[in-house]
This record gives sequence, C-alpha cells and structure tokens, in this order.
Amino acid sequence: MKVAVLISLLLSWFSSQPQDKNNTLLLAEKFRLNGVSTQKAFGHAQKQALSTTVRLIRNDKLIAMGGIVDSRGYVLTKASDCVGAREAETSDGKTYRLKIKKRDEKTDLALYQLLSNDEVFPVLKWGEGNSTRTGSWVLSSYSMLKEIRAGVTSGKPREIGREGGVMGVILGAEGDDIGGVRISEVVPQAAAYKAGIQEGDVITKADGRRVKKRDQVVKIVGRNDPGDVVRIEVKRDSDLKTYNVTLGHRSVTFDLFNRNLQMSGPVSKRKDNFPMILQHDLPLPKNSMGGPLFNLEGECIGFNIARVDRVTIYALPESQVRNTLSKFLGK
Amino acid sequence: MHKASLALLLATFLFPILSAEDKADHAWNQIVPENSDDLLEIQDRLQSLLPKVQGAVVSIEASDGAGSGVIISKDGLVLTAAHVIGTSNKKMSVRLPNGKRFPAISLGGSELSDAGMLKITKAGSWPYAKMAPRGSATLGDWCFGLGHPGGFDKERGIVVRVGRVIGNKDETMQTDSRLLGGDSGGPLFDFHGQVIAIHSRISKQPDENFHVPIESFLANWDFFQNSKLFTLAQMEEGGFLGLACKETPDGVKVIEAIEGSAAEKSGLKPNDVILSVNGEKIDNREELTILLASKKPSDEIKLEYQRDGKSQSLKIKLGNRPRE
Repeated sequence: MKVAVLISLLLSWFSSQPQDKNNTLLLAEKFRLNGVSTQKAFGHAQKQALSTTVRLIRNDKLIAMGGIVDSRGYVLTKASDCVGAREAETSDGKTYRLKIKKRDEKTDLALYQLLSNDEVFPVLKWGEGNSTRTGSWVLSSYSMLKEIRAGVTSGKPREIGREGGVMGVILGAEGDDIGGVRISEVVPQAAAYKAGIQEGDVITKADGRRVKKRDQVVKIVGRNDPGDVVRIEVKRDSDLKTYNVTLGHRSVTFDLFNRNLQMSGPVSKRKDNFPMILQHDLPLPKNSMGGPLFNLEGECIGFNIARVDRVTIYALPESQVRNTLSKFLGK
Repeated sequence: MHKASLALLLATFLFPILSAEDKADHAWNQIVPENSDDLLEIQDRLQSLLPKVQGAVVSIEASDGAGSGVIISKDGLVLTAAHVIGTSNKKMSVRLPNGKRFPAISLGGSELSDAGMLKITKAGSWPYAKMAPRGSATLGDWCFGLGHPGGFDKERGIVVRVGRVIGNKDETMQTDSRLLGGDSGGPLFDFHGQVIAIHSRISKQPDENFHVPIESFLANWDFFQNSKLFTLAQMEEGGFLGLACKETPDGVKVIEAIEGSAAEKSGLKPNDVILSVNGEKIDNREELTILLASKKPSDEIKLEYQRDGKSQSLKIKLGNRPRE
C-alpha cells in the first residue's frame, strides 16, 4: 500500500516535469504499442479491419461488434451479447436497420443482416487462424471504428471447458450429524440469495436427490447450465423449505472475490465451453466482443468471443466460425 | 555492492550484447515501426526468442498464493517480486514449463522496488535466462513479458505479451506490455532475450504496468542473496538523511536536501552526485535507501560525493524520519 502511494507520488512528479529534448520521461503515446503511429504501420490490415467491422447498437448504446461475411450485408457476432440489437453502424458512419437470421448456442455466434437497398458491402477475407503461432500480431477494430487495437496471440490455441451454472453459495460443514451440507456463505445478489436461501441453511436435497456431501451438491448443480432451475431443499432451524434457484454464471457470481477481475472492468458473461479458442491480449471492452480478429496480412483469423479479464480475450478460430457460418447459410 | 559473484555473472553475458548483429538497423530499434514489414520483423524476432527463453520461466507456488519467476543461474537462483516471496526463508516450490515441481526457499529482496529472490534447493543444472547489464534498457525499447497469470496451466502454456518501455526511472520501469495478477514476479525480456525487469504491479490503465528494473537486483545483489529483505517498516525506523535523489547517467543525484534534515545541515546541495557511503559504492537510489535504513538514527556516516567535478567527503550524523 505504502509502496503504491510512494510510486504514484513519484509518477505524478515525473509526468509533471517539463519534457527535455533528450530526456523524455515517459514514451510519447503515439509511439506506444497502441499509439496512432504504431497503428499506422498496420496499413492494409488496419483498413481491412475498419472497413469490415460494424458496431451493433441497442437503445443508442454499443452492445457488440460484428464482422461483414457476405456482400449482402450478413454480419456475424457474439450471440449472447447482441440480444436486442436493432441498428448497425459501419466505419463510414452509415447506419442500417438490423435483422436477426440465425443463432448457434454451441459457438455463441449469431448471424444478422444489415438491411439496405441492394448495397454491396465490403467483405472480410478469411485467413488460417488455426495455425497461428504464439506471439503473432493480431488486431481488431476499436469500439468507435476510428482506430484499431493490436497485440499478440498470447497463449496456445485450446479448448475451454464448460463451467456449468452456480448457486452463489460457499459450502461449509457436511455429514450425517449435520444432516446434509451447511451453507457457510451466500453471495449477495447471486442466484441462491435471490431465491431466498440463507447463510446457515443445511442443504438436504438437490433436484430431488438426498445429499450429504459437498461433492454431491456441486455435481448435481454443475450439470445444469446458467439459467436452469434447480430445486434445493434446506433445513432451517427445524423447518424444511424448498427453493427454486435459477443458476447464474460462475464468472459473474464469483468475480466479486477475484481481485484481478475487480480491476478488469466488465467481462463477458459467457467465457467458457468453447471447442477451440485463440487467446490474445487486445485491450477491448466487453461491448466490443463479437468483432473479427485479423492477422498482419489483414485476413480474418477468428472472431472475438469473450472478454475474460483485463488482458485476455478469447477468439473463435476461423475454422469454427466458418463451420457455423456454413450451417447458417445452409451450405 | 558489486562482488565477485556478480562480476562473474556479468562477464558471461557481456559478449553477446556486443556482437555486431545488434548494431544493424532492425525494426525494433526504430522510433516506430513504419509498415507491415517492420512489424513482421518484430514478430519474427519475438517468435525466435520465445523458445530460447521460455524454459527458464517458472510458476512459483506457496501455501498462500502463486506467482511467476525466472531462473537466472545454472544453480537455480530465481528472480521474482518481493510480494511473491513475502518473507525470507519461506518454503516454496517452482514449476518448470513441463509442469514438474521443485522445492525452493525464498531469499531476500526489497519492498521498495518489489525485487525478490529465491533459490531452487534441489541440486541440478537448471535452464536459465541472461540478465541485461546495468543501464541497457531505454525508453521505447520493445520488450515482451512472460508469466503464469492465475497459476500454472499446461494447456495454455506460458502467456506472452508484447510492448514497449514507456517509463524507466529509479526503482520502477513502466511498459505497455500487459499484466495480470499471477504474472507478478515474471520476467520482462528485451529483444536480445535478456531479462530487463520483473513484473511487479498492474496499473488501473492496462497499458501502463509496473516492473522492477534489473538494476535493482544488480545493485543489491549480495544483500538479496544473503536472505535480507528490506521492508518499508525498516525505512521508517532506520537512520534518516533527508535527501531527495534521482538516478541520472552521472549517478545518484541530489534534487533537494529536506529542510531541517541531517542532509541540509551537512551542506549537501542539489546536483551533488552521491558516490559512496562508508566506503560502499552507491549504484542506485534504492541501494542508498537500504544502506541508510540499516543505520540507526543517531549513527554517523561517511559520505563521499561529487560537486563541480570534484570528489569530496563528509561526516554526517543521521536523524529521525519525520512522522506525518
């Protein structure tokens, strides 16, 4: 804590100093990784990113980005972030009404169409994202479609497992003498809290099955997805009560306890259960997921599908995206 | 505090740095990359360095948390952050990229810069990375950070992020290479594959993170290796000189002698360069701070300094740190 204060004092001192000609104290912003001068070097790729990415809008607010995949104005985006989008904006400032065509639960992709009078839209070009080596340049359009954000693929391409829904409780003591599994903590505003479950309740049944151990509760609850309802019977004092708990997302429920995520800003609700992802570090906000990810050649190698934390974004690689697109288009 | 052990270590990496190849006008030496060819050159360099340095990057585990680190000697000395080790002589374990765990013990460090050190206690010949020599990192250098954010994950592997040095002053280096908790203690490499800093703290802005410059380790090497951990509490209790200093190419330079302090009474003035304390050569500001804090408030020190190109010497009786 003291160090932080000390450092921040030092830093404010540095930045308040006049910048001498040979002794610049902080690197000028334009020369930084995402400075305007650096962005310019991406040239063709920058232009491709800006011209084929769209902003998806609900109630005058950006809710997701999308990528134009067909000259008829077909746009792919992240399905769960794009619910209720009515309008789209392109980088030249034009706006279009939007129509939803298809959705796919597995990849969390959705297909929309920009409604126009036979306008021919610029379409992104596909590259090969599956072979992307760690440390390769990647870029996407930034939220306002005026700038790009660049970074590198930062981890190995891989599957992200399913997390399942959660009640938002911390399980404590268990066993026969207790008569079930005691709830030692209830996360405020999470699923169990909203259903009426309280700290100290002892879970006796989950989905009709008698439970005595923490593992049993975790297993029964975890095979349900967020949004599913699980019946929980608890003993409170000497009463038995039954509650219907509509499960929440693990990320949203427990992020309160994660210091990293407290400093991250909003993250995607769904960031699990993807058959394959590319990991990269572009500084994009949650409402800029769903847009295409490009390589240095300006080819689309994936679609940004989840903001995981302040430095991690998952993108579905182009092979996954194109499979889903083929299904959408009935090919 | 440069001692034989350090001199030996330094000697092994002076050679590659001076090789002719580095003098060519590579894209990563330009003020800014100008086109996609430049960017490709940067990418190729990064990808050719990664396999050479990744083997030395470790995940550090203790009963109360996890962080990252980098092995910098064949016998298993590991650089990390002070807040990753917490205290000296703590049993910890390190995990190599292949997932294998080995026992380690925390040595020393400094809460001021957040430098920390530990040692793998199992004998072996460990993969290690080279440290950059003092003063080699400059503003605008391309760099890349490695680490195990959130702990070891074999499927994901070591996480790589690229950026530039955006600030480098005294005990702190700043880069726009992004960081997450758990990256703490991980290495920041320059485009020669040398460790120039250790990840310390994230800033609210994801593009302005904090690292411990390698100079902090080099200047205080023996102190850290001898399991001494400099704490902020020690600074509160130790002797107080009352100098505000900054690091310059000429050395540790006085900005101001605080009013009423021992430094002001002694006649030290702005622009004096501090050379040594009690015969111990001062390499950086943190070393001076640690040295003074190790004295009692009433102790007398012999301070050598340079004014107008001339070396001079003073005896100064230290005082108490003013309480806020």
